[in-house]
Amino acid sequence: MGFFQNLFGGRRDRSASVAKQRLMMVLVDDRYKLTPEALEQMKLEMAEVLARYLPAVDAEQIEVTILRGEANDYLKADIPLKRGRSDEG
Amino acid sequence: MARVITITSGKGGVGKTTTTANLGTALAMQGSRVVVIDADIGLRNLDVVMGLENRIVYDLVDVVEGRARLRQALIKDKRLPELCLLPAAQTRDKDAVSREQMIDLTGQLRGEFDFVLIDSPAGIEGGFRNAIAGADEVIIVTTPEVSAVRDADRIVGLVEAAEKGPPSLVVNRIKPRLVNRGEMLSVEDVLELLAITLIGIVPDDEVIVTSTNRGEAAVYDQQSQAGRAFFDVARRLRGEDVPFPLLQEHQGVFERFFGMFGRRRS
Repeated sequence: MGFFQNLFGGRRDRSASVAKQRLMMVLVDDRYKLTPEALEQMKLEMAEVLARYLPAVDAEQIEVTILRGEANDYLKADIPLKRGRSDEG
Repeated sequence: MARVITITSGKGGVGKTTTTANLGTALAMQGSRVVVIDADIGLRNLDVVMGLENRIVYDLVDVVEGRARLRQALIKDKRLPELCLLPAAQTRDKDAVSREQMIDLTGQLRGEFDFVLIDSPAGIEGGFRNAIAGADEVIIVTTPEVSAVRDADRIVGLVEAAEKGPPSLVVNRIKPRLVNRGEMLSVEDVLELLAITLIGIVPDDEVIVTSTNRGEAAVYDQQSQAGRAFFDVARRLRGEDVPFPLLQEHQGVFERFFGMFGRRRS
């Protein structure tokens, strides 16, 4: 966060972006009965499976979102991989 | 053959009745033959918003139960000869009409009008289901607030389940200055969350209060922002390609300066 944003009251998130984040969570829950806890559990299990093939996967870094589309919704997973040599541990 | 369009929202108080009255009036001003139906049985309101409360003799339930012919119950608008209202019953409850009766009623009206607009009651229960039963299309009204958007999303699901085709969205009571400050959900945010087609952006406007006080639709006041916005929704319904005007209110220098740095982008 930049200097100006701190100066001009950007320390707290703007309420619109808070509203949007909250709504994203609540709509997923309403539509799919997927609670934040279940989502976390799903991420951990995804990481577990993926780690068997890709040790570089970090469960903490996985981001799962459900996106609304015109015809379908989509489960989108962003799974960053730790860069580095595979023999590093 | 008429298009039967239900205006609904889930949450109460977001402007369904105002939207119905203004779209009905605007469509008639633009040359369409229109009937608006108040499907909120027991909580009749469309009549007062349109300024027709003194002319009611028969209502929707009278027609359905055979005490009046449909033609007798239709109330002609004060100014527009091609605009009619079928009022709700005030003394009955929501169960006074069945889904089949609503389908039958809209069927009878199809031949005589270009548009049949149905003002749905709030909620997702029987009254709402009756209101969409005879509809070809659904317009969902929401405001840029978490509770309204959440309820709108429920309605999207129910409308899709009822196979009414993809609903379209009116975002009502947007406050551009608040949006610019990042303190109100933007139209883009709401669209991203609900993922349905936009048909109207209506700014928050005092003219809605004054026009409702008088029982005259805001679309008569073409100088008003909300009046013009509703008029544009009607034009889009009639198939015109009307661009969405940028909702940039006049901003002061300070606000613009703050806006440059204060706005968070996700």
